[in-house]
Amino acid sequence: MSDVIQQKIREVISQNTSPSESDWLTQKGSSDPLELMTAFVASPRNLHKKIITVTPEQAWELNAEIAGFSVNDWSLVRLSRVWLLTQLDSSDKETYVKNISTLFDTAEMNELVALYSALPLLSYPDEWLFRATDAVRSNMGFVFDAIALHNPFPARYFSEQAWNQLVLKTIFNDKPIHFIEGLESRRNEDLAMILSDFAHERWAAGRSVAPQVWRLVSNFMNDIIAGDMQHLLQSRYVPNQQAAAIASFESGYKPAIELISNYPELQKSVASGKLTWTDLETTDLNTYVPQP
Amino acid sequence: MCLNHNETTQNPSHFEDSDDGNTPAHTDITWSEYNELIKGMRFFDPHIHMVSRTTDDYQAMYQAGIVALIEPAFWVGQPRTGLSSFKDYYSSLVGWERFRSSQFGIKHYCTMGLNSREANNEPLAEQVMEILPLYIYKEGVVGIGEIGFDDQTPAEEKYYRLQLELAKKANLPVQIHTPHRDKKKGTERSMAIALEHGLDPSWVIVDHNNEETVKSVLDKGFWAGFTIYPFTKMGNERMVKVVEQYGPERIMINSAADWGISDPLAIPKTAALMKMRGITNESIKLVTYQNAIDAFGKSGQIDVTDFEDGMESDHSAKFHGNSILRGGQQPAPAKNSLLIQ
Ligand SMILES: [Zn+2]
Repeated sequence: MSDVIQQKIREVISQNTSPSESDWLTQKGSSDPLELMTAFVASPRNLHKKIITVTPEQAWELNAEIAGFSVNDWSLVRLSRVWLLTQLDSSDKETYVKNISTLFDTAEMNELVALYSALPLLSYPDEWLFRATDAVRSNMGFVFDAIALHNPFPARYFSEQAWNQLVLKTIFNDKPIHFIEGLESRRNEDLAMILSDFAHERWAAGRSVAPQVWRLVSNFMNDIIAGDMQHLLQSRYVPNQQAAAIASFESGYKPAIELISNYPELQKSVASGKLTWTDLETTDLNTYVPQP
Repeated sequence: MCLNHNETTQNPSHFEDSDDGNTPAHTDITWSEYNELIKGMRFFDPHIHMVSRTTDDYQAMYQAGIVALIEPAFWVGQPRTGLSSFKDYYSSLVGWERFRSSQFGIKHYCTMGLNSREANNEPLAEQVMEILPLYIYKEGVVGIGEIGFDDQTPAEEKYYRLQLELAKKANLPVQIHTPHRDKKKGTERSMAIALEHGLDPSWVIVDHNNEETVKSVLDKGFWAGFTIYPFTKMGNERMVKVVEQYGPERIMINSAADWGISDPLAIPKTAALMKMRGITNESIKLVTYQNAIDAFGKSGQIDVTDFEDGMESDHSAKFHGNSILRGGQQPAPAKNSLLIQ
């Protein structure tokens, strides 16, 4: 991990803390591992509970150091905890891994959120892979979000199977997939077909899938998925039709292109670039409630 | 669960030392008739083991006005075989169980500690003491508890003292479990040792009191907790008399409901009985809500705005596409007897 990112985070913290809070952190950050770990736990008892503010420049700089890494909307406690973790001595791998593992094993929900948020900054990334894929199985919403949304670690280190599981569970949990880092670059055919199957199950149960998930299939259009597009175009729900139109247009797959020629208005707005996936990026999903 | 008399003497935590095998007398007073009396009241249960309870309990508790609770670390019923089971248990108190509680609109706090019974396994107790600091500073940990004596062995005393020191260092209240057997002596000894370690009695909650122990506890300046637990601890008619005699100052009641035959609605039921017997609303509020908040609030971890006007359930926290409280589900009404004997 680069010293630069440590400094940048410290900068953001300084702008969001009182001098006494900042002193407390500085002192704990340079103490022995056990005290540092206790400080990680005790942060909420020593720091204000508030959401930090980050300037656009700072956000840009952090992202420049580690692509996809963002601290926007984090609480001061979360950011401070992540910073404390970056202060743990990593020179001896065995001790370092043992200490971080102890924190994982004893963590409550907010600590888990901080630990998973810190994954892109921790040394020995392979050591955290199992915990990261395990977090995807979490039943606690905030913990799941910490690994799945706005976190560059999965895109970088997950196997294709683990990645697909993450995306699918995000959809399953009615969370917005456009908050997943690396969503575009890690699209794959398996995922597209899994999604098609998933949609069929949902439709059979009288439920829906979020329209924007069809952005995952456009590169892998085939007759089965084109059939799904037809189903969507025939639905009375406009965002479904829009999603099918964009995916079909993007695919360049002839049978799919032909489908949208029956909807000239939609075709026009997609072709002109007026209608894009961004228009379908909603966060308030409730696909378990039957559609009108 | 089915416990015969023989089993109850084996060592359950709260369910202990029945006087005899008699079944309780039936009573004409039913809870459903009297819960009208406590409409609009808010309750805080400062001692309940939700890890042993069901979703029905959470629903009934919420419906009966319980807005917040404290789950003390306790003995789960069978010996733990290693440090990992302690870790998992402690983690569940601050993790899964707290989350589960939030899904039912009830704010969940806990106290952390090595309980007296398990202090007797010294090699394991030693390891637990090493990881305890990582738990006591966690958010929502409002005290060190429940600690104290069970058999009143030297090992129990050793870890009791060590944890009193930990509480002092961490600036946390202490929740003392007083023993079932030889209670009077155990209570006196627990208080004497706490004072010997320089603890301010206003930071110490002595739990599971009865008519025999209450006076001394209050006289010495400690908080007196009363556990309304069927058959073996306090009944709520007795509790009403205690409040009539000693007033509501520094007295708090709890259910200590766990895996034994116990009642998570002990507080609202007792409040209804108090109301019926003419105890004032202010006194009822003190012993069923405010005193617990004042005592454990010294931890700095209780913010009443989190629950006094109802807790905001986190609707984005779902699993398998659903929260535990699935849309449209109605809490089942509780129809048990009002009296707990
Ligand atoms: Zn207990």
